[in-house]
Amino acid sequence: MNWAFFGGLLSGTIMYGVPLLYTTLGEVIGQRAGMVNLGLEGILLIGASVGFAVSIETGNPWLGVGAAALAGALFNLVYAFLVATRRANQLASGLTVMFFGMGISAMVGRAYVGGGIAGLARYQVPGVAALPWVTRTMFNYDLLVYLAVPVAVLVWWVLYRTRWGLSLRAVGENPSAAFAAGRRISALKYQAALACGFLAGIAGAHLSVALARTWTEGMTGGRGFVAVALVIFSKWHPLRAIVGALLFGGAVTLQLQLQAMGAGVSPFLLNMIPYLLTLGVLLVWSGARRFAAPGALGRVYSGEE
Amino acid sequence: MRVMSLATRMALAAVAASVFLGGFAVAAEPALTIGLLLPGPKNDAGYNQSFYDAALEVGRNIPGIRLIVAEYVTDAEAESVMETMIRQGARLILPCGFPLQYPAVAVAARHPNVRFMHPGGWEVRPNFSNFFATTQLHFYIMGVAAGLMTETNKIGFVAGMPLGFTLGNVNGFHLGARSVNPDVTTHLLFTFSWGDTTKEAAAAQALLDQGCDVITMHLDSPIAVIQTVEAAGAYTIGFMSLDARRYAPDGWITGLGLTWGDYFTQSAQAVIDGTWRTGFIRRGLAEGFLEIAPFGGRVPAEVREAVLAVAEDFKAGLIDPFKGPIRDQNGVIRIAEGEIWGNEKMGDFDWLIEGITGSPK
Repeated sequence: MNWAFFGGLLSGTIMYGVPLLYTTLGEVIGQRAGMVNLGLEGILLIGASVGFAVSIETGNPWLGVGAAALAGALFNLVYAFLVATRRANQLASGLTVMFFGMGISAMVGRAYVGGGIAGLARYQVPGVAALPWVTRTMFNYDLLVYLAVPVAVLVWWVLYRTRWGLSLRAVGENPSAAFAAGRRISALKYQAALACGFLAGIAGAHLSVALARTWTEGMTGGRGFVAVALVIFSKWHPLRAIVGALLFGGAVTLQLQLQAMGAGVSPFLLNMIPYLLTLGVLLVWSGARRFAAPGALGRVYSGEE
Repeated sequence: MRVMSLATRMALAAVAASVFLGGFAVAAEPALTIGLLLPGPKNDAGYNQSFYDAALEVGRNIPGIRLIVAEYVTDAEAESVMETMIRQGARLILPCGFPLQYPAVAVAARHPNVRFMHPGGWEVRPNFSNFFATTQLHFYIMGVAAGLMTETNKIGFVAGMPLGFTLGNVNGFHLGARSVNPDVTTHLLFTFSWGDTTKEAAAAQALLDQGCDVITMHLDSPIAVIQTVEAAGAYTIGFMSLDARRYAPDGWITGLGLTWGDYFTQSAQAVIDGTWRTGFIRRGLAEGFLEIAPFGGRVPAEVREAVLAVAEDFKAGLIDPFKGPIRDQNGVIRIAEGEIWGNEKMGDFDWLIEGITGSPK
């Protein structure tokens, strides 16, 4: 064991947990409105390709992040139209959106394969340099990392402390009751989908613009699906999503840091840890009312409109 | 994820297959049509680009070459892509992906008058040859550069999968570094993937966090690693495409480039002349399959001279990197005193040399 191991592990856990957190927060909003979106992987890819393309074209990575958020939000309207307006099956719609997003992102990104950028500016966490186990390369984060927990708190506040959040959760729990109370189901679902796509777009841009600083086809590597699992792990709560995202980020980093130390632990085993924990959460809390999924999650609302 | 990435790749392969004319050949009958199959994008600054650049060089060297390029080809659709190329007149096929070997062997059996050249495999047929560069031996030279440049005496290596050839590159790199700097340790990380760029960046970051200040890689595309290293102000040593140095304007030391241009040109000319012969071909720096990339601005003159001197010794056949006694990580002698491992043993590694941190599995 050495100190660089702990420093590197902590530093990397935060860095690589952040894109998962943004994605998971988006999916929490969507699922709270009753929509399971398996298309996240496609939206992440759209965000990654658009974010990178715009960063290269404008020379400003923040414009890239902004464009990625907008592209993600707009693209997720396809999903909203399918499930809220056309009342299509959510799983099928999500998978369609995923494949669609893979294709579009490959087309958008094609001209930018092999490109490189300086990426988002990074700032070391103030004060950590004084710690003996922190090296110059650790805890250098871009602003999106610093903003991740505040955004999670904001999502929690919006969902649990505002009228809009209450309406949104009502739509996910019991759309008939929400309708009877005068809520516009379809409009709320569209708004939730926009928010979900917006956050997933940011997450995609974080991968390409801040972390890898390049675009390759399919570069999200299944993180969209990890986020769906994380929503279940965090039991549809934005603040617990922070824990979940750190856990997943930590699994990737632990695997690399253990290798770097020469510890002979199977990386495949380490990759499974987060899923085993999700399985455990499902086994232990699946029956508890307080941790239950939104009542109308995945259902088609064909009510009174 | 396998299924999805396959689906996208198939869609892309269809979109990406592009045809263009080289030289002044707008005329009806090209001197030779070449079909180039790549597993990834032609401009990855890595593996794929080394072959693509070489194929373009053929077009510049021989008038009337027509080049058909298909990117993102997987083994699943490789046969049909090759058949299409042959129907379009291709007489020389370059299936430049490791998994494309057996699909290409199958197509070669059906078309005895079409020549095939595959990189990195082992199959040889009358119309199917195999070629690659002796990268494991020559990574020693890169190690010399790393050993001279490191200040922390820790150098890093990011690799995709733990294959014998990959371990050979790491071992060669380490031996070169040790030859000039006995205190150096080499730290090896596998991403267990060839394409997860975010994880590659994370791996490079983990090595930097461990104190490595010179990092090299064996990946399809080196871009994510190089940029992460560059942002941290550390040094990069490149591998595969000479073009990779543009991502490290500050921290570039040198690199080992795969340079097939002359070989492809000679082979294409031989196909045109009817003198093409099959073979199992492994060549290095002396024969032009490899090139030492230009040095970066921060590399002092004495380091450049030392590295180039070692390269000259290599060309003259004066250096055998894998010369016993060589011990593995557990201190067991794997190459005995007086024994030398040449290129034919380079795929056999399932062990790492002592002084390397990392697991060979």
